[in-house]
Amino acid sequence: MTAALVAEDVRKSYGDVTALDGVSLEIDPGEVFGLVGPNGAGKTTLVRALTGTTEVEGEISVLGSAPDRVEESQIGLLPQSFSPAGRLTARELARQYAGLYDEARDPDAVLADVGIDGETAEQWYETLSGGQQRRVCVAIALVNDPDVLFLDEPTTGIDPAGRRALWGLLEDLASGGTTVLLTSHSMAEVERLSDRVGFLSDGRLVARGPPRELVEAHGGRSRLLFETDASPATLDASGVGYDVSARNGHLVVEDVGPREIGDVVAAFESQGVEFESLTWKQPDLEDVYLELTGTSFEEAER
Amino acid sequence: MTRLGRIRAEFTASWHAFLRRRTAVFFTFFFPAIIVVIFGALVQTQPTGGGLFAEPKGYYIAGYLAVVVLFTPLSRVGSTVARYREGRRFEKLATTPLSRVEWLLAQALVNVVVIGVAALLLLALSILVTGTAIPATPATLLVVPFVALGVVLFCGLGAIIGRVADSQDGVIAASNAIALPLLFLSETFVTPDLLPAWFRPALGFSPLTYVARGIRAVTYADATTVALPNLAAVVVLAIAFFVAGAFAVPRTD
Repeated sequence: MTAALVAEDVRKSYGDVTALDGVSLEIDPGEVFGLVGPNGAGKTTLVRALTGTTEVEGEISVLGSAPDRVEESQIGLLPQSFSPAGRLTARELARQYAGLYDEARDPDAVLADVGIDGETAEQWYETLSGGQQRRVCVAIALVNDPDVLFLDEPTTGIDPAGRRALWGLLEDLASGGTTVLLTSHSMAEVERLSDRVGFLSDGRLVARGPPRELVEAHGGRSRLLFETDASPATLDASGVGYDVSARNGHLVVEDVGPREIGDVVAAFESQGVEFESLTWKQPDLEDVYLELTGTSFEEAER
Repeated sequence: MTRLGRIRAEFTASWHAFLRRRTAVFFTFFFPAIIVVIFGALVQTQPTGGGLFAEPKGYYIAGYLAVVVLFTPLSRVGSTVARYREGRRFEKLATTPLSRVEWLLAQALVNVVVIGVAALLLLALSILVTGTAIPATPATLLVVPFVALGVVLFCGLGAIIGRVADSQDGVIAASNAIALPLLFLSETFVTPDLLPAWFRPALGFSPLTYVARGIRAVTYADATTVALPNLAAVVVLAIAFFVAGAFAVPRTD
């Protein structure tokens, strides 16, 4: 199977700042690839490189062609911080961009897909809420029914219900064969939507793989957190049966399986430890992010 | 979608976006009105007095029209380029079939319509308010290509300014810095004999000179300039500036 997107040893610098430092990746047709990393890690630069809107060193291939030679109708792009004309209605904006292609989807249908219809479609873009604006922008990216879709932080500012509706739409697109490159700061979004995830840090792709594999490799152990004033020194650790540490007003017991939670709670109570609440947390993509970007647990919990 | 369809889609969007910016619309059409009122009605011309505005009223029609042909496209297209860049719209458009030439042509056509209406308003006010007589001959219709091509020319220059300036404020400052000297050193309001002899050849370096000379040739009965050579110059300059402007329109970061 020929990859839909290929980047080989892609490098880009802005003056002394290295934005991409030898990034290589392949994304298969119909795959949803999530790209995550801290601000300034190089995510947007990589999207620009793949869409041919910035010049880079290295090789880029989109559907087998160089980015500037690929058929435009096959590409859909939602740039980060994209802001179309404020005094056009959502419907006019969708029609404007549909009008640039030989064949395009019905603008009203695309707007309806992202939850913009009725009177909302007749409102000027600048009068829409931030979430509605972002949904219109997603509709603009979808209006040409692209084979490869680049979405740079598509759900920024969208409320939870709208975000879930958009996730459903993207899942439908992916199941229909659309290749999606998604950047996001929402680990829940990336974990739910992506077949594979790539972690960018300082312009380097430091890890990639299916979310589950990344969590297993880098997510660490499960944690049981007790909100309490007690300290580890007051506990008989051998009585608990696990290592116990203190972090930010919590006692943290690591590597506790869901079936052992009751035993640990009973051990705490038997030693007279009082607690306000307890939380059990499985490692997830956020833990992978924190591990790979060098952010400590303590910093993240602050 | 054909090239025409893409240009129409961009034109329609830009046209609606312009019409809905009320202050922009108001001042676009207020601008020619205030020019006529100030220069035509308040200052008035002094044919026997010497100095500025010493020519008959008809001489300055070309100057009035040059003002709207120069200022509005220069600042509008420059600001539009800056606005598109700030909104990451060029990055989006670079992944669509719309080319830079088509984009600039759509913007230029919007400006041709807007400035065309403003020019008609200005001519009507000149005749009604100041009583200026304009020759009613077929040649007078050449005002239309002079205005349209002049607008295209300065849209191209506006795109270049928009590319060079890094913000909308920068575009406005740069437009004013370029437009004001051009306005007064292009045979619009200041006649060549008011300038030092050594400077007069420099008037030929201003593209606005050919627009003003051409319009004067067909709107002022006692004009010493002729239309067609100036029209040919404006055609060449319009093409050159438009092509340069189209290449200046940003495509990548």
